Amino acid sequence: MPTITIFKQDLEGLLAGPGEALQSITMEQLEESLMLGKGELKGQNPDTGELRIELQDSNRPDLWCCEGIARQIRVKRQGALAKYDFLTNTSTSPKRLNVASGLEKVRPFVAACAATGYRVTQEGLAQLIQTQEKLAEMFGRKRRTVSIGLYRLAAIEFPVTYDLVKPDEVTFTPLGMDTVMTLGEMLLVHPKGLEFGGILAGQDRLPFLRDAKRQALSFPPIINSREVGEVRVGDDALFVEVTGTDLSMVVLTLNIFAANLADRGALIEPIEVRYPYKTALGETVMTPQDLGKSRTLPIGTIEQALGQALGTHEVAKALAAYGYAVTTGPEQVTVTLPLYRQDLMHAVDVVEDVAISRGYGDFLPVMPSQFTVGGLSRIEMVSDRVRALMVGMGFQEIISNILGSPKDLRDAMRLEGTEWGKLVEVDNVMSQNFSALRQWMLPSLLRVEAASNRAFYPHRIFEAGEVARPDPAQPLGSRSVTVLGGVIAHADAHFSEIHSCLDTLFYYVNQAYSLEPIQHPSFLAGRVGSILSGGKQVGVIGELHPEVLERWQISVPAVAFEIDLTELAERS
Amino acid sequence: MDISSLIDSLHPLEVKVLSTFGTNPSAVLQTEQLAQSSGLEPSQLSMAVEWLLAKSLLTVDTETVTPIVSLTKVGDLYFEKYSPIERVLSAARDAATTGKRLTIQDIQAREGLEPAEVSGAIGRLKKEGALLIIQGGCIESTGRPSQTAEAMRSLLQQLHGATRELREFSEAQRQVIQDHAVKRGNAREPFRIDDRVARALKLSVAGIDAAQQLSLQGTAEEVSQLTPELLKDGSWRTKRFRKYTISLRAPRIAPGKRHPYREFLDTVKTKLVSMGFQEMRGSLVETEFWNMDALFMPQFHPARDIHDVYFVKEPTHASSIAEPFLSRVMQAHQDGGETGSTGWNYPFDAERARRLVLRSQGTAVSAHTLAAQPAVPGKYFSIARCFRYDQVDATHATDFFQVEGIVLGEDINFRTLLGLLNLFAREVAQAKEVKFLPAYFPFTEPSVELHVRHPKLGWMELGGAGLFRPEVTLPLGITVPVIAWGLGLDRMAMVALGIHDIRELFTDNLDLIRSTRGAF
Repeated sequence: MPTITIFKQDLEGLLAGPGEALQSITMEQLEESLMLGKGELKGQNPDTGELRIELQDSNRPDLWCCEGIARQIRVKRQGALAKYDFLTNTSTSPKRLNVASGLEKVRPFVAACAATGYRVTQEGLAQLIQTQEKLAEMFGRKRRTVSIGLYRLAAIEFPVTYDLVKPDEVTFTPLGMDTVMTLGEMLLVHPKGLEFGGILAGQDRLPFLRDAKRQALSFPPIINSREVGEVRVGDDALFVEVTGTDLSMVVLTLNIFAANLADRGALIEPIEVRYPYKTALGETVMTPQDLGKSRTLPIGTIEQALGQALGTHEVAKALAAYGYAVTTGPEQVTVTLPLYRQDLMHAVDVVEDVAISRGYGDFLPVMPSQFTVGGLSRIEMVSDRVRALMVGMGFQEIISNILGSPKDLRDAMRLEGTEWGKLVEVDNVMSQNFSALRQWMLPSLLRVEAASNRAFYPHRIFEAGEVARPDPAQPLGSRSVTVLGGVIAHADAHFSEIHSCLDTLFYYVNQAYSLEPIQHPSFLAGRVGSILSGGKQVGVIGELHPEVLERWQISVPAVAFEIDLTELAERS
Repeated sequence: MDISSLIDSLHPLEVKVLSTFGTNPSAVLQTEQLAQSSGLEPSQLSMAVEWLLAKSLLTVDTETVTPIVSLTKVGDLYFEKYSPIERVLSAARDAATTGKRLTIQDIQAREGLEPAEVSGAIGRLKKEGALLIIQGGCIESTGRPSQTAEAMRSLLQQLHGATRELREFSEAQRQVIQDHAVKRGNAREPFRIDDRVARALKLSVAGIDAAQQLSLQGTAEEVSQLTPELLKDGSWRTKRFRKYTISLRAPRIAPGKRHPYREFLDTVKTKLVSMGFQEMRGSLVETEFWNMDALFMPQFHPARDIHDVYFVKEPTHASSIAEPFLSRVMQAHQDGGETGSTGWNYPFDAERARRLVLRSQGTAVSAHTLAAQPAVPGKYFSIARCFRYDQVDATHATDFFQVEGIVLGEDINFRTLLGLLNLFAREVAQAKEVKFLPAYFPFTEPSVELHVRHPKLGWMELGGAGLFRPEVTLPLGITVPVIAWGLGLDRMAMVALGIHDIRELFTDNLDLIRSTRGAF
C-alpha cells in the first residue's frame, strides 16, 4: 500500500478549488478526514508543511495523490461531486492519436489527453511525478499493465502515432542521457531499460510514440524523449498518455490524471484514439472516458448489510457525498461511480461507501445474539493435557520458530541422507536461518540448550507444537503434525531419567507403550528406542549422540524423547 | 530482645549452665559446683560462662584467688633423681665418712650438675651451717641437718602428681617453695605457683527469667530434624527442634512451568472459548488456492509475489484442489460467477492455485472451515502459525502467531461486527474506549480497523475485521453473512512479558524464560 508525500498548503488550495482562497484544515480535521480515503497520517514536518500519508486501499489509485485526497474531502464537504465537464467538451475535430497495427500483440492500449491553462507549480510538478510513479509501480504492476508519459504539448504536432518499430529503426535522446541512441540500445544501457526491459522480452518490434513530424515522444513503457518528454515548472500546456495491456485500467489511469489536472485548473482536451483492431470500446475511442456503469440496488440490501434502517434519502445523500452519481427510485438507488474510480465489483462495495461516508461512528455496535458453544480441538486438548503433565514433572516450556535451517534441523542432528532428515524446504530463500520447516522438535530444544549453558542445572525443557513431515502420499506433499519433545540435560543425565518421564506421561494419557531398540544417528547406539503404541511407531527416546552435542556445542549429556501427539489424539 | 527469642538464640552449652541453677535460681554457685552439676568439661564451662557474662545473664558474685603449687618438669626430675641441694649434702657426708677431700669441681663432675645449681646449693647449705668451705676450695660436712634439703624432699613427695594450695603448707615450707618457684629469669626451678581464680556466680534478673523459662520448657534434647523414627516412636514429644534463621535467602530452584508467551496465548484461547468460539486447526503448508484465491485475492495481487510469501521447493504443487471450490472460485475471480460480482476480469490460472506456500495468513484456516459445512450460527477461532517473507528485526518476525477467526449467522451485519469488536476490546485488552476506522482487506467489505485505548499502552490497533465478501463465501457454499476477524496481540504480549524485541517471544535464553513472570 503506497505511502505518499503531500504538502499541506497544496492540499488546502485543492480543497478550495482553483482561483479560490485556501481552505485551511487543522491536523485533527485532517486525520479525521483521512478516514474517508482509508488514509493514515504517518508523519509530518510542521516547518515545510510536508505530510506523509499511507493509503490502505489498493483498489483506489485515485487516492494516491494530493488531488485525490483533497477531492474526497471536498466532495464530502460540498455534499456532491461537481461534474467534470471535459467529457462533453469534445470538439468536432479533436486531436488524434493513431495506433499502428501489430501493437495488439505487444502493448495494445493507449489513452491520452491534452491539458492547457494550468501553469505547473513546484508542488504540482512533484505531485504529477509522484502520481506517475506510484500508479505505474503499484497499480500498473511495475509498468507491466500501465505506464504513463507526460510531455510539453507545445512541442508536439498532431496527430500523434503510437507506433511499432524495430529496435534499431529509430533513435532519440532519452531522459537522463545526453546521447542519441536506438531503442535496442536503451534496453541495454539505460537504467530504466535495464529495470523494465523485461516487460518487452521476446518482442522483435517495440512500442514507439512519435508526432506528425516523426519527432520521438517516448519509448513506452521504458523512457521519454529528453526533448519533449520533460515537463518543467512554468509549463502551461501538457500532453498526457497512458499505455498498457488492460484497456479499462489504461483509461482509468488517464481519467485520474485528467481529473487531477482539472482540479488544478487545467482545461482538459480529449483525444481521439484510432485503433486498427477491435477493442472493448470500439476502434475509435475518445479519452478520457467515463466507463462507469450504473448499478441499481434495493435499499433493503444496504440496510440489511449495515444492520440499520436508513431510508432511500439518507443512503442517496451519503453516496452523493462520497462522489457517486445517484438517482433514487421506490426503495432503491441507482448509482454510478465517478470516472476516477472503477472499484465497484459488488453491492457490498457500495455498502461500505455508505458506512464510510456517514462515518463508522454513526453506527451503534450491537452484540451478535445467537448462541454458540465454544471448545477446543481434540489435538489442542491432548496437547494441553501433556503440557500440564510435563510442567508437573518439572519441565520448563519453550516456544520456538517453526522455520529453521537445514543445518540445525538435519546436519547438526547427523541426519544427512536419512529418512529422518527430509524437510519441507523454502524455494525463495531469504536467509538460510529461515529456509525449512522443522521436521521434528528436538532441534528446537537443543537450540535452547546450546544457548543456555550458563543457566543453572539441571535443565528440563519441553515444547509441544507443530512440525511438517514430508510425505509424498499427501495432497500437500507433507503433513503438519503436533508433537511433544522433551530434553533433560545435566552432568548425570541418564536414559532412565527421561524414560521415567515418558512412562509417567503414557500412564496418565492412559495408553500402553513399549520400547524397541533401533538405530538412530542422533542418539547413542544401544541407548535409543522407538516408542511403540497401538502397533505404531509414535516417537523416539534416547541419549543424544556425543557428536550431536558437539555440533551444537552443548557441554553436558542430554537425554530426550519425542512423541507424535496427533497420532495419540486420533486414537483415543 | 524478648525473653523467648533470647532463649531461642542460646547455645546448648549456655542452656546447660542456666539449667544448673534450676530449682534455686538465686543461688550463688562456685565454678567447681557448676562444673560438677552441669557435667561440662572445664573448657566448655568456661566458654559458656563467658558467653553468659557477655549477655548479662550471669554475674560474678565474688572472685577468690588461690595460689596453687605444682611441680614443674624440673621438679619431677628432682623427685626422681633428687634435687641439687640434696645431692651436694649427700656427697659432702659421703666424703666425711670416707675422709676424702671434696672440691666443688669434683661434685660438679660426679653429679653432672650445672655450676649455677651447685653453687646455689652450696650457698644455701653453708648458710644453714650444714657445710663448711675449707682451704683449697674443699667442702666439708658439719654433720648438722639442712632444713631446706629436708623440706625439699618432703615437698617433692607431697607434690608429685598432685596440686596443692599454697596455704596448706607450713611457713617454712612456703618459704622453700617460694624460693624455688619458677620466676621470670629463672625457669629451672621445681615449683610453680599459679593463681586459681574461683568465681562465685549468680544469675542476673534476666538470667533468673531465662532459667525459669528454661525449666518450664523442660530439659528436652534439641534436635535439628524431625525424622520418621521420632514420629514412629513418638519421641518427638521429648525433643525440642532447633529453630532456623529463616531470614536467610532461599535456595534457588527451577520450577516446571509454562512458557510465558504460551501462557498469554492460553489466556486468549480460554477467553475465546468462553465467548463461544470453537477452535480450528490447519496445515503449515498451504496451496495458493486456500491461502489466497479462496479469499478473493487476485493472482496478480502485489502481496502474492515472491517478496511476500514463502514458496515450497519440493513438491512445488499440490496434487489437486477440491471441487466444486476450484471451479467456483475461478469463476468468481474471472467474472464474478454466481456471486453478483463483476470479478477481477483476468484469466485465472488453475495451475497457480495448486502452488504450495507456507501459510501466510490465518484466514486460510477460516477458508477451509467455510468449505467444510460449518455450524450456522457459528463462531470459530484459530491461533495459527504463519510465515511471511520479511527481514527479521525487532518488530518483524518471519514466523509468528495469528489469532483470527469467523462468525457466521443470519444476524451478522456491520453493526454486529462492531459489537463483536467491542467485546474483544473489553475482554481481550480490558479497554473501555474503542475507535472504529475504515480499513482495507482484499477479502472483506466493509472492513474495519479496531483501535482501543489500552490501560498501559494508550491508543493502539488491536485488530482488523470485516464482513467476508460474497465472492469469498458463496463459492465455498456459505449463504449467510460471515464476519472475518483478526487480532494483533504481539504488542500486548510483549508488554505483558516486559520485552521490547519481538524475537524474544521465541528466545533461546533459558534464564530469561525461567525468570519471566508473564503476568497477564
